[in-house]
Amino acid sequence: MLAGIRPGQSARLIAMLIASVVLCLSVVLGGSALGASAAETTASTSTATEQSILVWVRTDADKVGVANVSVTVEGEGGTETGVTGADGKAVVPVSEPGTYSVTIDEDALPAETGYPRPSTNPAEVEVFAGNTEVPAIFFLSPDNAKGAVAAPTDESTTTPTPGASDEAGTGTTTAPVTADTFWLRFWPQLVTGLIFGLLIALAAIGASLIYGTTGLNNFAHGELVTFGALMAYLFSGIIGLPAIIAIPAAMILGGLFGWAQDAGIWRPLRKRGLGLIPMMIVTIGLSLALRYVFVLLFGPDRLTLPNSTKPFLVIGSVSLKFTDVAGAVIAIVVILGVALVLTKTKIGKAMRAVSDNRALASASGINVERVIRVVWVGSGALAALAGVYVGYYQSLRWDTGASILLLIFAAITLGGLGSAYGALVGAVIIGLIMNLSTLWIPENLKFVAPLVLMIIILLVRPQGILGRKERVG
Amino acid sequence: MNGNFIWLAIGQIFDPTVAAYALATIGLVIHFGFTGLLNFGQAGFMAVGGYAFAITSVIYDWPLWGSFLAAIVAATVFALILGIPTLRLRADYLSIVTIAAAEIIRLSVKTPEFSDVTGGSEGINGAARAFNDVNPLPDGRFGLMGTPLVYNQDQWWIRIVGWGLVALACLLVFLLMRSPWGRVIMGIREDEDAVRSLGKNVFSYKIQALILGGVLGGLAGVVFILPRSLQPDNYGTQLTFFLYTIMLLGGAATVFGPVVGSIIFWVTLSLTDGLLSLGIEAGVLPLTTTQTGPIRFIVVGVALMLLVIFRPQGIFGKKKDLHFA
Repeated sequence: MLAGIRPGQSARLIAMLIASVVLCLSVVLGGSALGASAAETTASTSTATEQSILVWVRTDADKVGVANVSVTVEGEGGTETGVTGADGKAVVPVSEPGTYSVTIDEDALPAETGYPRPSTNPAEVEVFAGNTEVPAIFFLSPDNAKGAVAAPTDESTTTPTPGASDEAGTGTTTAPVTADTFWLRFWPQLVTGLIFGLLIALAAIGASLIYGTTGLNNFAHGELVTFGALMAYLFSGIIGLPAIIAIPAAMILGGLFGWAQDAGIWRPLRKRGLGLIPMMIVTIGLSLALRYVFVLLFGPDRLTLPNSTKPFLVIGSVSLKFTDVAGAVIAIVVILGVALVLTKTKIGKAMRAVSDNRALASASGINVERVIRVVWVGSGALAALAGVYVGYYQSLRWDTGASILLLIFAAITLGGLGSAYGALVGAVIIGLIMNLSTLWIPENLKFVAPLVLMIIILLVRPQGILGRKERVG
Repeated sequence: MNGNFIWLAIGQIFDPTVAAYALATIGLVIHFGFTGLLNFGQAGFMAVGGYAFAITSVIYDWPLWGSFLAAIVAATVFALILGIPTLRLRADYLSIVTIAAAEIIRLSVKTPEFSDVTGGSEGINGAARAFNDVNPLPDGRFGLMGTPLVYNQDQWWIRIVGWGLVALACLLVFLLMRSPWGRVIMGIREDEDAVRSLGKNVFSYKIQALILGGVLGGLAGVVFILPRSLQPDNYGTQLTFFLYTIMLLGGAATVFGPVVGSIIFWVTLSLTDGLLSLGIEAGVLPLTTTQTGPIRFIVVGVALMLLVIFRPQGIFGKKKDLHFA
């Protein structure tokens, strides 16, 4: 009833889609070029370093800063030292982006404040171009032995609560914004936002197609994403296959997972005539169960895919890893592929017909159940790719998908529920808003901005940006 | 670990956390079961109530009644902010807006920039001080009829007040649903247009129901934080999903369903934990003790799915009240 487009519009829409992708790319490239000139001007006007690490030494018990601790920062930009002030903080400037190892001098620590938690000294800190005051926090407690390494703490192992760490982020504290630093920070955020938007889009298009063809708000869509990420970790992280095999394998398994869900759960429930709201609550139950199956199998800790943090493409203040660039290109190709399938192939046209009017599609000889099956397989594969991409983009965990689920919902609501193109547009907007908002609001609130935007859009235009106007009340 | 876990499970029947979950679920029953509002942000109402209580009592040193009032007012304001714009939209829009609003609350109170007031990700400690000051019970530890269930005076105080509030809420819902007001909101659940054609202001009734259920959620947030410190991450979407499980367990349109559902939910969690640990210690189960946590929640998830599919009316519900299947 909601979905996309009437057949006659398809050519126009595909042109629009290509135009928008080209626009995105040109914004990225043009933006980078501008960023470059901005970087040059600052470099010539001031010799100040653009990056810095904020070392903060605090006591575990009452979180009071510990003064006069000497700090050593080692990494690509050489070795820098500093001493913590009265508040326990020391800002150490570093000249190059990269990974730094931050060490505090344990010999100089007074015995009554104790020593850092095991395995936290030295701490690894990743600094990207333009990041200021990247936090490296040490908690001291008399309970800890000096120079202690080992013993993974069991804090997070018993009953992990979701969302505990992803949103917290390791980001930068907002530095005072001046005209120069504004643009220096603007371009990297814009590019990161576009990349993150494409990532969300991969998952959102699938969720939107499922909503369009079956009317189901799938709360377990995040788990399709996590599944893909964990499969990629299984193949490349544990078995050690190269990414070029591991990623397609994860996608194929993701597709199979989607197939299995539809065959095992959703089709039988549709046959039983279960209403949409109970079905939605079933997806919630499934999402809870799957999440904890993942914990059981892969453990509660953060996992990383083999990845190089070396900058691959550096244009001005924008510094991208190889996986960022490759991921963006693959995502654009896949999204164009999906658009082609939706507009040019028989099954794609059938999908849009089913989303438009299920009864009519069925009456005109379309095998609705087969179309829905294909949608589930496709959505599973797309979500798996999104998961792989999240794994490379940050790190992955049992609740990776759950933590971006609301962003996926925001994207499909923003674009217009059930419209695949709307989901793409919505996702890119979400990615941009999320990252650009950090220029003005605290980094920790970056998940809040797209959710607020979604609520506002719903109030003024409930059918979404690309949704067709209809009665939604 | 030995037979003690059975007493631990029985102790859940009086536990203040169980009372808090029951109270929040009674609010949800007003929203979802009786009015048909798809509120996925009950965790947000609990957070708003809990924070309003803790901030006013710990940071601004308000008297106890002031803090309770603050929790009620905050939940009312939150309901108005959510309800006025969204209650005119289709049901699934309300669900997305409420779940997003709950997350906005959780992420906002967590952010270090507001930590002077909200305590950031550390939360707020010691909100129970004013509450325990008015405790009329004599100091000491009291057992329950010779059982190993022994609590001190503050633990008894919160148990009495928590379950007292649950009893009051049950009574309120019981009376309301027999009043003309209750018949109107149940009418809205069955057929909004029919009620509108009778000249009732559907929107106003929906807002009233949202506020009433939200205030119960806010009070549940207060009961929830009194025996522990306030932690922002306790109010994730998962909390709302647990409340839905409890509601569907007892019956979505029943008065006492939430109470029984909450007790069954927590006793089952506690028993599974005990049994799993017992099995692991005896070497029967090929698991480690850290894996018992996830297994309990897999059980919750699967139970939620099976309930909705095979017994959507819950334990006490009647098939005819089943508006959503």
